[in-house]
Amino acid sequence: MNAIIFSAIFGVVMMFSGVFFSSKQLIRNLAIGLMAALLVLNAAELQGYGLFDINLNNMLHFTSFGLVFNCIAFAATFIYLLLSARDIEQVGVNLAEYFALIFFILCGVGIATSFNSLLMLFLAIEIISIPLYILTGSDKRNLKSNEASLKYFLMGAFSTGIMLMGIALIYGATGTFSLDAIATATKGFETLLTGGLLLLLIAMSFKVSAAPFHFWTPDVYDGAPTVFTSFMATIVKAAIFAAFIKLFEKAYLPSVASWKAALTFIIVATLFIGNITAVFQQSVKRMLAYSSIAQAGFMLFALFGYSDFGKEGILLYAAAYSAATIGIFAILLKMSDYTFDGYNGLAKREPVLAFVNTIFLLSLAGIPLTAGFFAKYYMLVAAVKSGASLWLVIFAVLCAAVSVYYYFRVIQAMYFKTATTEDVTTAPVTINFKVILIVLAAIIVLLGLFPHWLFTKVYF
Amino acid sequence: MSKIVALVPLLPLLGFLINGLLRKQLSKTAAGIIGSGTVLGAFIISVLLFIDVRNGKTGVVEFFPFISFDTVKIPFAFLVDQLTAIYLLIITGVGFLIHVYSTAYMHDEEAPHFARYFAYLNLFVFSMLLLVLGANYVIMFIGWEGVGLCSYLLIGYWFKNPQYNNAAKKAFVMNRIGDLGFLLAVFWLLAKLSTVTYGEVFSADAIKALSQTDITIITLLFFVAATGKSAQIPLYTWLPDAMAGPTPVSALIHAATMVTAGIYLVARTNILFSMAETTQHVIAWIGVATALLAATIAVKQNDIKKVLAYSTVSQLGYMFLALGMGAYTAAVFHVMTHAFFKALLFLGSGSVIHAMGGEQDIRKMGGLAKHMKITYFTFLIGCLAIAGVPMFSGFFSKDAILLSAYEHNKIIWGIALLVAALTTFYMFRLLFLTFKGSFRGTEEQQHHLHESPRAMTIPLIILGVLSIVGGYISVPEVFVAGGDKLGQFLAPIIPLHTHAVSHMEEYALMGGTTLLVAIVIVFAWNKYKTYKEETNGAFGNLLENKWYVDELYNTIIVKPINWLAGFIENVLERSGIDAIVNGVGRAVQYSSRQLRLLQSGQVGSYVLLMIAGMVLLFVLQFFLKK
Repeated sequence: MNAIIFSAIFGVVMMFSGVFFSSKQLIRNLAIGLMAALLVLNAAELQGYGLFDINLNNMLHFTSFGLVFNCIAFAATFIYLLLSARDIEQVGVNLAEYFALIFFILCGVGIATSFNSLLMLFLAIEIISIPLYILTGSDKRNLKSNEASLKYFLMGAFSTGIMLMGIALIYGATGTFSLDAIATATKGFETLLTGGLLLLLIAMSFKVSAAPFHFWTPDVYDGAPTVFTSFMATIVKAAIFAAFIKLFEKAYLPSVASWKAALTFIIVATLFIGNITAVFQQSVKRMLAYSSIAQAGFMLFALFGYSDFGKEGILLYAAAYSAATIGIFAILLKMSDYTFDGYNGLAKREPVLAFVNTIFLLSLAGIPLTAGFFAKYYMLVAAVKSGASLWLVIFAVLCAAVSVYYYFRVIQAMYFKTATTEDVTTAPVTINFKVILIVLAAIIVLLGLFPHWLFTKVYF
Repeated sequence: MSKIVALVPLLPLLGFLINGLLRKQLSKTAAGIIGSGTVLGAFIISVLLFIDVRNGKTGVVEFFPFISFDTVKIPFAFLVDQLTAIYLLIITGVGFLIHVYSTAYMHDEEAPHFARYFAYLNLFVFSMLLLVLGANYVIMFIGWEGVGLCSYLLIGYWFKNPQYNNAAKKAFVMNRIGDLGFLLAVFWLLAKLSTVTYGEVFSADAIKALSQTDITIITLLFFVAATGKSAQIPLYTWLPDAMAGPTPVSALIHAATMVTAGIYLVARTNILFSMAETTQHVIAWIGVATALLAATIAVKQNDIKKVLAYSTVSQLGYMFLALGMGAYTAAVFHVMTHAFFKALLFLGSGSVIHAMGGEQDIRKMGGLAKHMKITYFTFLIGCLAIAGVPMFSGFFSKDAILLSAYEHNKIIWGIALLVAALTTFYMFRLLFLTFKGSFRGTEEQQHHLHESPRAMTIPLIILGVLSIVGGYISVPEVFVAGGDKLGQFLAPIIPLHTHAVSHMEEYALMGGTTLLVAIVIVFAWNKYKTYKEETNGAFGNLLENKWYVDELYNTIIVKPINWLAGFIENVLERSGIDAIVNGVGRAVQYSSRQLRLLQSGQVGSYVLLMIAGMVLLFVLQFFLKK
């Protein structure tokens, strides 16, 4: 509860800060400070210090899983702000509003990890989505940004419609929005219920950019200001996954066997399209968009093989994926050229950046000693334990092998190629920036060595 | 048995570490002192251990569990018994002398390389000690591999010469072939007995658990290992090439110690070998064939070290002949005397090469006796010893071998006698061509001729003395009752056996052999007291070219393998595996190009595709699913 209420309040505070302060630096520092406060408040609730005791009519239900997830999301946002707050300034003049929107999105994240009613789920998704439409189009004079925003909004509206339709059907079948009741709904309207759940599944797949509902992702990620792409691709996506898994646990699990075929189709399509299409991309930013689709394919395994193992896995996956992607985007933001060639010779120009970037990329590719390896491992083990076809797992591993190709292209460019033209440059970076990146890389390696470290809080 | 035994190998290891790590800082004197001093320390402890063993204090010292899985427990343990004690003395004793000798011989090297040399030499001594100290085959194998590595490093010590590197590689590869036999034998033992500890393998229970076939296969595999390390047919060709290394290395590794590891292995395993008649026959025939082959080649070699190298191969063949006859003690005895006189001869040749400024061709020497009295005199002792002239050490050990050959197989004995004659011939040819007659080198070389420094001559003198008195630890029964001290000493490991040959016959044999040797010496003197340009007949050419064995190996083994490798590389690898791998890559690229087109940028087509996906999912969920 702390997270939801305070993030809303902080959002409002940020909104007004633009009126009262003119110093960009002050606004930036305020945002970072409030973010830290939010993280601390959420962690306090995890330790049992909830500040609010409101009768929620069982609309929200706070679990340690959700709170740990909040912690990961907030910590990621905190690091994200530390690394990229300056870049947010570059996007446009309405600095305070950008931060305000980010806090509102975090409010949505708080709800997404704790909803217990389909209405709350809908609210969460919308609270997350609408600020994102705005952020995508925040570079107002850039046509690509506007186009992306419009596309996002159109297709987002489309998926919202599907979601509402699904919720309506479920309500028709069960007479309730409560997740608990769906599971124990009286029989008789199976077709209606299944249809509703399928529409809900499709809408959620859209939000996590799973194929074949991923089409918005590359265009939006590519068109949006890079600094917001980073936020969208990591924290937001992970939060929607948290919602997805919670929804799945309550609504789909009782009849999980009947959903395996649909899930298999989605997973296979996502892994295939995400990984294969990424291979041909020339822009690192667009490659990362496809990479986020591909990674979503892996995260879907958590649903497929739903178990404690899968639940732990999705936490680790969210942390590993967010940390690595935030880092890569932060470095990408410093490049003048977003193509692979832009990275040529980075190891000579900025050895530290090249090195940490390598760790991030290795983690995304799932190389051992990085968090990404165990994240993928947990996912696959969860799937195997739930009796997934071995072919599905082998397919996933092969796709991960393909992913090595496009991730390593960046490493190859950084270390083994030399910059051919003079105008390939990197924006100057501060020592703080490097230190934070090193910390981020250290976290990835540590999680790659001791993944259990993350789960200790989940059970109790 | 106290843990102090660990110091024996640890000291040289320490020397290796110091010399190896600090080779750039240490002066030559310091490197020499560390190198020699650690081995001297090991020698002193070895002497103490030997005294303990003589007083009956033998036993196993366990340090820590080394490998442990399932029911198999392989401890890191040392076994100190009579056989080990003798080997320890030879390795550290002769090793120390050669280290001291090296300090003078290698003096022209730059300091870091000088220290590197001693580091390698120390590492070798460490490995060799591990080999003989191990209480099970696995520890022995560590040493076995270690000495192989050091041999490789030291043969290629002058690594700037590609030919030397090739020689080093050849030695390593040949040894590895043999090592495979060792490994397989160890695995076989593990599979059958779940243990490789000597005490357990040789226990009555364990032997009962092995079938006759098991024993034959295990012993044959061990013998394959021995042919590699101890340069027997078919794996002997590396040893002559190994002369590329510095001469003291040839003396230590390729004459006195490492090459006798195979004999140690067989003697150690004598209980199994005695039970495998087939293996015994194989060993005896391979041994005698190697002895003959190498001896014939040695007759026509002109490189002073090559002669000694083939002589070593030939003498090793002698030892295996003895092993094949079941005369393990005689073999070990010959190992010991051979260590003395062959090390002496090698060091002597080193002294000659030193004086000649690197020249090794005996056709360009002559008359050196005048200039290098000590070298000449000790070399003469070495020749007399290896020829088996009575009162010298070689006489006793060779006699023991010939006697057991005579006892078991007259044909082998005949060949062995022929080899003895050839040995005498080529050794005295070498001696006369080098030291007698007139000098045939350049003016400059003649001017340069000098006796070697004391660090070189003192080891020569000590080894000379040992080459004379070394034989008296095992005097035949016919001379002194109970004179076979060595046999009695080794009795706990190698059962004593008495000869079934009458004393008369034995005297006759000795007399005959001695007469033969004497005749050959006189013959060699007449032939070589003055040097004449030799022209080879067809047979001479065959011998000078070493029976074309290297060429034969090249043709029947190296070339086909190269061809096969080329085939695999060009056909299987390039157009097979590469094509598949590249094909996968191309397929991914291609599908990527096609899939990309789905992403048209048109919202309308996106929505259409999404609807198609939704329909598909509906069909899947409602109609296709059972």
